[in-house]
Amino acid sequence: MIALLIANSLALASLLIMLASGLALIYGLRDVINFGHGAIYMLGAYLGYTVALVGGFWLALVVVPILLAILGIAFEYLALRPLQSRSHIEVALVTLGLGIILGQIIIFFYGGVARSVDAPQVLSGSVTVGSLSYPVYRIFLIVMGLGSCALLALWLRFTSSGLYVRAVSQDPSVARMMGINADRLSLLVTSLSAAFAGVAGVLAGPYLSIDPGMDVTMIVNCLIIVVIGGTGSIGGAIVAALLFGLVQVAGSVFLPNIAALVPYVLLMVVLLIAPRGIGRGRVLN
Amino acid sequence: MNNRTTTAESPRVATVGAFRGPSVRMPLAIAVVAIVFVLGAVAPAQFASDFVLRLGNEGLLLGMLALSVAFLMNQAGLVALGAASVYGGTGFLFAIAMSEWDFSPMGALCTSFLIIVVYATILGALIVRTNPLAFMMLTLAAGEMISHSVLLEGVRDYTGGADGLVVNFKGSILGMEAADFADPARFWLVVWVAAWLAGLALWAVGRSRLGAILRAVRENEERMRFSGFDTYLPRLIAYVLVNIVAAVAGLLHVLNAGFVSPESLGLSISTNTLVAALMGGIAGSVGPIVGGLIFSFAQDEFGARGLTQLLTGIAIVVFIVVFPRGVVGGLWSAVRALGGRRGTS
Repeated sequence: MIALLIANSLALASLLIMLASGLALIYGLRDVINFGHGAIYMLGAYLGYTVALVGGFWLALVVVPILLAILGIAFEYLALRPLQSRSHIEVALVTLGLGIILGQIIIFFYGGVARSVDAPQVLSGSVTVGSLSYPVYRIFLIVMGLGSCALLALWLRFTSSGLYVRAVSQDPSVARMMGINADRLSLLVTSLSAAFAGVAGVLAGPYLSIDPGMDVTMIVNCLIIVVIGGTGSIGGAIVAALLFGLVQVAGSVFLPNIAALVPYVLLMVVLLIAPRGIGRGRVLN
Repeated sequence: MNNRTTTAESPRVATVGAFRGPSVRMPLAIAVVAIVFVLGAVAPAQFASDFVLRLGNEGLLLGMLALSVAFLMNQAGLVALGAASVYGGTGFLFAIAMSEWDFSPMGALCTSFLIIVVYATILGALIVRTNPLAFMMLTLAAGEMISHSVLLEGVRDYTGGADGLVVNFKGSILGMEAADFADPARFWLVVWVAAWLAGLALWAVGRSRLGAILRAVRENEERMRFSGFDTYLPRLIAYVLVNIVAAVAGLLHVLNAGFVSPESLGLSISTNTLVAALMGGIAGSVGPIVGGLIFSFAQDEFGARGLTQLLTGIAIVVFIVVFPRGVVGGLWSAVRALGGRRGTS
């Protein structure tokens, strides 16, 4: 029972980590919360659905992130860079608008009905460990989620570009003075974050349903995670995503009637205790 | 770090509406405003069709919501994405108080209003101390929480779930019965007066000491704290104030419609509100209300083709990037520029 609970919350947290860390990365570099991130994730899910129909799930898992990385590059060049001199709130509102536009375009093409994707043959079915049996796909999800999280941590920790990203996140003006090109980094980070959203979207297909409201649900969850984790802190976001997954899953088991409200209660509690979140995010105006 | 805020205005223009000195213009301006008020109150009911009046009513209600969002944006630099939760929330509370608790209309009105004000105060106390970006995220989360909670299994008997609630309106409020509120021409008068009161009240607050403190906190909170000002309470008061305006709009809406649906709590209402505020221009009281009217008529033009949301998204981007002052703000500065040129030549 407890093991199942933890496994389920890890599976949910895996998706959330991929999305929330993407948000936190962009925020660290640009001080912008990308309110359109949910729509990018939804685009990933729908594109994943189409590509999976044509060429199978594995192809989707490769192609969709690449396509979305290109979208991320466009987003960087067409939105973030021209608006660099504007206030962060204005840019955040622009991303909100762009997200609505993208969401509506997706609904225009795919209609308002929910779709579902089947997991590939290898990943369907379940494994039995001891007395417990667990769907293979969710294990795959956990491996992917934690794996990408580990890769991200390794990149940030051990490569020079990761070092630069951390430097800019910590103090943009000093980092710039030391000769770090924030623009070039931002290009990398934006495309990476969009690609992660694409992976999450494709992975969400067989796990959750693909429906037109998924962008709002996901962006709201991610925003809660980012706030709980301490805005801009990637480590905080990861911890918060795990916590969020656990609370969400435990809530739906023990308090099925009010499960939908549990994340918000968590948010309020964290805000009351630690208004800046659990991670040490950079304090911003 | 560059601490620019949502307004593209300079601080000088931010004290918008200030006439230059107590000149002859002052009585003239008051006379013009009074004429516009009376004409607007009387003329549409005489000349416009019921259909146009209905759109106008919706526009004014949205305008009042936009006014609340714009005031907070302009004065405090805070963007609220949860306008719908207060707007629809009062509607739900009113309907529940009428149908389930058997309150009199006036009692239901006051009860739902008070509950929402208490809610706004508690939420505000929690969230106004965060930074503007976190504030925006938190209002979005709180709004979604309210819109989810209405659909919960346990409260479905109360809220009607996805079907919404029909208001069981018996009796009268200030001599007006259900049929009077549903009549577009009569309701226009009510909402017109309400919008003016809200606009004048927020305009007055913006020009008061509280408004000055809010703008100073918006520019640099640390400096204000350092100078010995309380930066928390003014923002909380502003937050509660704008929610009172939104609650009044919500009550008027439910009285007019006689019905509340979960859609009235949805994110799209909040984004529509934002668009109305941006379209009209967030500085001053006229812009947001005009923006609400523009939005309402534009939605009628394009909404039938299912394009409303798409246009909402495009409008957010276009108005922020290209016309940050909105329609009214743009016209206002154009008039001023013309006037200035005539003065010097």
